[in-house]
Amino acid sequence: MIEGRDPNLVKELIELGGADLVKCYQCGTCIADCPTGFSETPLSAKRLIHIVKLGLREKLLEEETPWMCVTCGGCEERCPREAEPFEIVLAIRRWQCKEDDTFVPLALGEIFARGHTQNVLNPIRKEIGLPEIVTVANNHEAMQKFREMLKETNVYKRYSYIFREE
Amino acid sequence: MKFCLFLGCNMPAIRPDAELGIRLSLQTLGVEVLDVEGASCCPAFGTFPSVDEDATLAINAWNLANAERKGADIAVQCGSCYSSLKLGRYKLIHGKLEEINQKYLSKVGMRYEGKTDVRHIIDIMHNVIGVDKIKNSLRYSLKGMKVVVQNPCHVLRPSKKVGFDDPENPIALKNIVKALGAEVPRYSRERQCCGGAGGFAKHDKKANLEFLKKKLDAMKDEVDPDCIAVSCITCLMHMDNAQAELRKLGMIDYEIPVFDYCQLLAICQGHDPSKVARIATTPRDAVISKILRNKI
Repeated sequence: MIEGRDPNLVKELIELGGADLVKCYQCGTCIADCPTGFSETPLSAKRLIHIVKLGLREKLLEEETPWMCVTCGGCEERCPREAEPFEIVLAIRRWQCKEDDTFVPLALGEIFARGHTQNVLNPIRKEIGLPEIVTVANNHEAMQKFREMLKETNVYKRYSYIFREE
Repeated sequence: MKFCLFLGCNMPAIRPDAELGIRLSLQTLGVEVLDVEGASCCPAFGTFPSVDEDATLAINAWNLANAERKGADIAVQCGSCYSSLKLGRYKLIHGKLEEINQKYLSKVGMRYEGKTDVRHIIDIMHNVIGVDKIKNSLRYSLKGMKVVVQNPCHVLRPSKKVGFDDPENPIALKNIVKALGAEVPRYSRERQCCGGAGGFAKHDKKANLEFLKKKLDAMKDEVDPDCIAVSCITCLMHMDNAQAELRKLGMIDYEIPVFDYCQLLAICQGHDPSKVARIATTPRDAVISKILRNKI
């Protein structure tokens, strides 16, 4: 193994949902139309894939750009190799979470606590004549079942400190 | 005709008036709107999908199974919810369904059969209800008004998995806005994303605002529209709220009101604008008054 390079990195990303990254031939179509191109530090799926293929673990862990993705699907649509760049970006996020807990979004805890990323019980509902919310946010029995299901996931088992029942 | 309305998080939390617009306009068109008991976050891409795929599919399947119990497809406006549920369903029915059912849903007495599908409001309006029925439901029109459209990225791409329209030249949203009587002129940056979803704005606010400014400038310079019609909660909030920031920073000196398509439709159907279009940062009163002067 060349110093600083880990050939297993590709395999790890494949297992996390980035299976098609091996198809990438570095043409750069994925970044041609990416909204984040307006930034001085744009998200480049092409570059990230190259980092993975070179096995540069530390470099990949330093990258904050995977979290910039606007999820517009432009790269997915236009990739001539159908390498699914968006799925690779998600796989890189998952890898970063695995390597370093501080990458794990705290919104996971919100969803566990109230079923949504935020409080959906807006008092305006009543004023404008909307029916009551029937999602888990307002249904104790369903909320308990939802949490019970989440407790079966590896995410819950691994990062249990994030999850609190309100 | 009946659909399960999937609310997601942003709409009920921040823009419940948009939810009312969807409910009332669908009901006026004869659609039975069902609520999904026990629905949750879809989950959004920045949450479980960024950490673990199995947990993501379990939550997708949870939501799909809850709708399936009602015996109807899901109707959804939020682009991210549409994409998360539609892509999740694709992965489930192409291989992961039994595993996810067995490992997660069965533990709480649930099961997703793979029957309930996910449809976007634009798709339902254009391809299920149709423009003629929409036209026949109107009491007011957008006659004499110029409206530009903002398609949600998530309904266009990846087209093989989520699409119902031409991804490079989408026509459905334009057609249903035209059905309200408006002129829908083309502008050069029509296909550009609004930039509101995901972590772009959080990561680089300046670049994100410059990105949106390009789009808004193109609308203003080329078309000077009365308003923008969107059909995604993120497009609605971002294009509306960010205009105030752009003005504050001196980056733009104009205002273009933003409406969810169903808010425009509901107003045209005679529903109360103070209810279905209550919340906005960029004032919409001038557009609403104009519509109410256009009695059919």
